[in-house]
Amino acid sequence: MTRALNAELIKLRTTRTFFALTVTAAGLSVLVVALFASLATDLTGNDVRALFTADFTGPFILLLGAIGMSGEFRHRTIASTALSTPQRLVLMLSKLAAYAAAGVLLSLLVNLAIIPVGALILSARDEVTLSFGDHLDILWRNLVVAAFFGPLGVCVGTLIRNQVGAIVALLAYLLVVDSALSGLAFDVWRWGPFGGLPAAITGVGPDGEPDPDLLSTGAGIVLELGWLALFAVAALAWLRRRDLV
Amino acid sequence: MPAIEVRNLSKSFGSVQAVRDLSFSVEPGRVTGFLGPNGAGKSTTLRMVLGLIRPLRGDATIDGHHYEHLEDPSGRVGAMLEDTSFHPGRSGENHLRVLAAAGGHPPARVDELIDLVALRGAEKRRVGQYSQGMRQRLALASAMVGDPGVLILDEPTNGLDPAGIRWLRGLMRQLADEGRTVLVSSHLLAEVAQAVDDVVIIARGELRGNGELQEVLGGGGAPVTDVRSPYPDQLRDALTRRGHAVEHGPSEQDLVVRAEPEAVGIAAAEDGLTLYRLAPRARSLEDTFFELTADEVPRR
Repeated sequence: MTRALNAELIKLRTTRTFFALTVTAAGLSVLVVALFASLATDLTGNDVRALFTADFTGPFILLLGAIGMSGEFRHRTIASTALSTPQRLVLMLSKLAAYAAAGVLLSLLVNLAIIPVGALILSARDEVTLSFGDHLDILWRNLVVAAFFGPLGVCVGTLIRNQVGAIVALLAYLLVVDSALSGLAFDVWRWGPFGGLPAAITGVGPDGEPDPDLLSTGAGIVLELGWLALFAVAALAWLRRRDLV
Repeated sequence: MPAIEVRNLSKSFGSVQAVRDLSFSVEPGRVTGFLGPNGAGKSTTLRMVLGLIRPLRGDATIDGHHYEHLEDPSGRVGAMLEDTSFHPGRSGENHLRVLAAAGGHPPARVDELIDLVALRGAEKRRVGQYSQGMRQRLALASAMVGDPGVLILDEPTNGLDPAGIRWLRGLMRQLADEGRTVLVSSHLLAEVAQAVDDVVIIARGELRGNGELQEVLGGGGAPVTDVRSPYPDQLRDALTRRGHAVEHGPSEQDLVVRAEPEAVGIAAAEDGLTLYRLAPRARSLEDTFFELTADEVPRR
């Protein structure tokens, strides 16, 4: 398992996908935080908290996992991977662990980029700022969500092995279905793995405010873990059944 | 114990039966050619041996184990699959680094392999910029990462230039002489004949021939003798009277006889006929291959 994980981490480091997604996510997040911190007025503590809950990283981390796994099918490198790591369970676990680590790293880099920029601008404008403890609290919640999103993306990339299909399906779900559910069927949305449960973990609802109807952070983590297990079992079953030609 | 054992393997893709009840074994210290026309089921069989395709029935083992249960898969078996693919954005060196890490082999092995397959100077280029021949060399290096005892090579000469093919033949011979097992599929029969000790011939997913190369070459069809005489008509009569089939040869004095040279010589001597030439015709691997796969190979 350690060898397979090591190999997966080398794969991540030796293509441009991880760097491209990290730079794009960080750039967009810094831009949004800088604009918001520069232009918004009469900010409350909740507003600032929502600002640093990096909304842009989630889709990028999901895409990173989906692209990483579906790329094995697209470039037909899955046979080579399976020859090195013939047990599908070990193969799947190493992918999940590698993309959990990659998700955490991506989120950490984005947070390290937005916190000083946002804090400096807010401080310069005499707006509300957060304490170091508040930033740490936001950071660990963001990292936990990132640790779930990387592997969830891997599962999506296994179940939808067409790379374009996986990306389109993820974006369509996040931008259309999930958004619609949060507005039209909150009671359904709050149990979902891509919207409601991550919101429960970060403590920021769909309108950017803490929402008493969100599940607790602990329940969010446990249920998100359940979703990940469900996705992983489905992906593993699919990978075991498939002929790798 | 055979290094590779295939027992009653069968596989279908939809309504197409790719492999039917196929059994054969491959011995260590020998180069075994795995031959068959396009679509005969060679690649499917090799992928079943490697655990990449699930057989419908039967099984295949390497050193007595299914591939996925091997302790150190890349240290025991190296595989070069037909149309081996690489991530086009990763360099050849990094591709080998990934495989070395996955198998727990030292990073220094990557440098050795780059030299072995003559990719020095191109190792840092992205694989997307490699020629077909360079990709084949990289695929071979990938198979050799763990310095394995068993090598499975599927059409390894595709894309190699003549010098590369000769180099590969020498490498396969060297590996077998070191006691390793080499199973190589190819449709280039002349190349295989020069390199292999044993052959497995399949067509329509079924076994058609299996054994040592010379044994398989000698096993099919009646012996053929080329004969030349200044009295071809008398010689033809002498041979047909004794029950041997005779055909015209390349010139008026030449005949092709379906008999051993001894029988032709005796017939000529008994009838007092002079012979200028009496030569057994050596059967080629190509002759044997076409005979064994006659229902499969299109004739022109």
